[in-house]
Amino acid sequence: MAARDFRSAEHLPNLRPDREPASPEELPRQRNGVTPQMHGRYPDYNVLDEADHWDEVTRRLVLERVEKMPPIRFFTQPEAVTLGIFCDLVMAQDREPKIPVLNMVDAKLFAGELDGFRYADMPDDRETWRRLAVGLDAAARQHGAGDFAGAGHDIQMRVIDALAKGELHGEVWDEMPPSKTWKVVSRAILSSFYSHPWAWNEIGYGGPAYPRGYARFGIGQRESWEGAPAFERDPVEDTERRGVQGT
Amino acid sequence: MSRRHELRTLLRGAVRPPENDSAFLLDVHRRAVPTERMARYDDSFSVDLVIVGAGAGGGTLAQRLARRGWKVVVLESGPFWDPDEDWVSDEAGSHRLYWTDKRITGGSDPVELGKNNSGHGVGGSMVHYAGYCPRFHPSDFEVRTRDGVGEDWPISYYDLKPHYERLELELPVAGDYWPWGDPHRYPHTAHPVNSGADVARAGARKLGIDMRVGPVGITNGAFGNRPHCIYRGYCLQGCKVNAKASPLVTHLPDAIEHGAEIRADCMVTRVEIDDSSGRVTGVRYIHDGVERFQHAEAVAVAGYSIETPRLLLNSTSRRFPHGLANNNDQVGRCVMVQGAPQVAGRFPDEMRMYKAPPPEICSEQFYETDERRGFARGFSIQTVGPLPIEHAQHVLGHGHWGAALREYMRDYNHWYTLGILSELLPLPENRVTVAADETDQNGIPVARMDYSQCENDRKNIAFAKQTICDIFEAAGAQDLLVTDRYAHLVGGCRMGSDPDRSVVDSDHRTWEVPNLFIADGSVMPTQGSANPALTIMALSSRLAERLELKRTGGPATRRRPRRLRRGSGPAPTAVDAG
Repeated sequence: MAARDFRSAEHLPNLRPDREPASPEELPRQRNGVTPQMHGRYPDYNVLDEADHWDEVTRRLVLERVEKMPPIRFFTQPEAVTLGIFCDLVMAQDREPKIPVLNMVDAKLFAGELDGFRYADMPDDRETWRRLAVGLDAAARQHGAGDFAGAGHDIQMRVIDALAKGELHGEVWDEMPPSKTWKVVSRAILSSFYSHPWAWNEIGYGGPAYPRGYARFGIGQRESWEGAPAFERDPVEDTERRGVQGT
Repeated sequence: MSRRHELRTLLRGAVRPPENDSAFLLDVHRRAVPTERMARYDDSFSVDLVIVGAGAGGGTLAQRLARRGWKVVVLESGPFWDPDEDWVSDEAGSHRLYWTDKRITGGSDPVELGKNNSGHGVGGSMVHYAGYCPRFHPSDFEVRTRDGVGEDWPISYYDLKPHYERLELELPVAGDYWPWGDPHRYPHTAHPVNSGADVARAGARKLGIDMRVGPVGITNGAFGNRPHCIYRGYCLQGCKVNAKASPLVTHLPDAIEHGAEIRADCMVTRVEIDDSSGRVTGVRYIHDGVERFQHAEAVAVAGYSIETPRLLLNSTSRRFPHGLANNNDQVGRCVMVQGAPQVAGRFPDEMRMYKAPPPEICSEQFYETDERRGFARGFSIQTVGPLPIEHAQHVLGHGHWGAALREYMRDYNHWYTLGILSELLPLPENRVTVAADETDQNGIPVARMDYSQCENDRKNIAFAKQTICDIFEAAGAQDLLVTDRYAHLVGGCRMGSDPDRSVVDSDHRTWEVPNLFIADGSVMPTQGSANPALTIMALSSRLAERLELKRTGGPATRRRPRRLRRGSGPAPTAVDAG
């Protein structure tokens, strides 16, 4: 693994020639706790280690997200297959451990927990998700595949890219604007994924801090319990401190 | 240094607000507002004033009038929050704080509602506002005269100034000396800021842009029984600490102490009118699935820019077939939002922008019209401090998803975010209406908001966005992410001096119904580029003063019943000494 210096911003897609990120496989493996796909930049930081310091209601809520996987109750089985693939591609979850994004979305839709507004030219959010499943299949068929779930990775990515750019046409997409569909479904996906403590581990987010609060917010400062980026550390000293045997 | 200045420095943060003991009525050991001694009025007792909505407008009005001996009932559609039990340090878990009933958003530039701008429950949207409490500028009240756009207010900045000053003591507001608009200082010193704010401010300074700390309605130091801010960063999720100001902690404890009843979980569905006299008689509301009717001598609607027009439009009668006080077809018009694009900048050091309150530094240097910019009016610049979900929306808004989104999010700790509030102009076709064929869970037609920008709006937003990009470039940002959004809501039932072009007069009284008032942000004819909370409160504070001067036009001999049930009894009792 080549050492990377995150003071530089060369890893960021906007600054790379192909606008694509480097493979996350080059990042360290998570050693403490879980991150989605087990890579991240804070390998020894597990926000759940701090749960004893959170207030009771916050702790109950956040731990439930990790411990209870909501069953699929809103979507039908075929819808769940199509949309599960879709959610994993939108969040680049290509292998376990995965944050169960679709299950979290399903739970909200099943409970009727909506966001308080509906675009005038869009159906209800619940209907939007169902029609998305139909529309993904329709778009995949335009590329010659039988349906979205059975299409190759390239076709799946092209369909999602067209959805994000508002460039899908035909069938469902003549009645439901793709750009607003993307807004509705991406909002639900992101708020599920980044509400999960595994995602907080991956990004080094300090997490809930009530009642103890935060006290150190100068440049490069962090609380004693916040995670250090892996690349700040001397690997030899670190291995010795943690008592890890060389291989 | 003058003696006066020394004294002020010595007393800074120690001056108790006059005529408002809210901070001292809170409990030291729990965050919930004590309600054990709250008055309970019977529905059949005609109270002096029923207020619909317990937010910035309704909460302040209730406190002011209760202090003056009025019998006030506040009906709030949402719950009476207990911050200890109901609120969490969590973005997704704060869903209940927002107005999540069905609404429709349309127009060519539709506005996201819900979490973005709509509150629910006692305290209203101020429960989840960032905490910024700037005043409007004197120019805001006369933009038609000065700049030839928008509308002049029927009142001036100087009508509100004493109320701004009083409220800044009550919230209390913390911040640097404020050189913009009508220059003033704040009762609490500025909060510390995090590293990102320092870096952004240095960048701004290079461009000759002055950014200052505050003004935020967050205690700096203990204030009564409200503790010091602990900088946990969850201002937008409800302050579990009670450090951030909202009417829940700044005005309602005092209102309750002076005999106001805050009746939560009561969805008002109609304001009733006596068709023969043309006066309102009270409001219909649903509590626990049962419809009830609260009699009142006067009604003040404080449901904010969407629910206030919706309630009036749904309150049709023989005299008002198109909605209450809407025979001039003005209700719901000129609803406004502020253009609020955000730019995030990437820096070599860790910024960890989730620490410290999201509202940190601010500039109003671009607030006024500058003809060289090519558009009328201006914008302000503020920090935002998005938590992970909000920042992920920002990254996606720039156009990244999949592996690129994940990569940007892994980089979260290196980013800092600035936002804009662009003054967008009031346009009559931007309007709240009711959707006849769509109803909520109570069978009441829902609101539809149509919003489209004009050319001036687009120019303002584009210029403002470029300005914050320039600030980040000057600060040495390595990469930028830009996203568009809106913030805040005002207008919809504006005040004016012409009955044909406004809904209420300068005393918030509807032109068409003598004992119906509107006491929220919907009365604003223009919005400046300031966050509206403090001005909504100041308007209500002034309204209370005006009402006390004129009374409500009610009967000459006012009933003065003794208030029963200031005890801990179980059920409401008829209170009518009439």
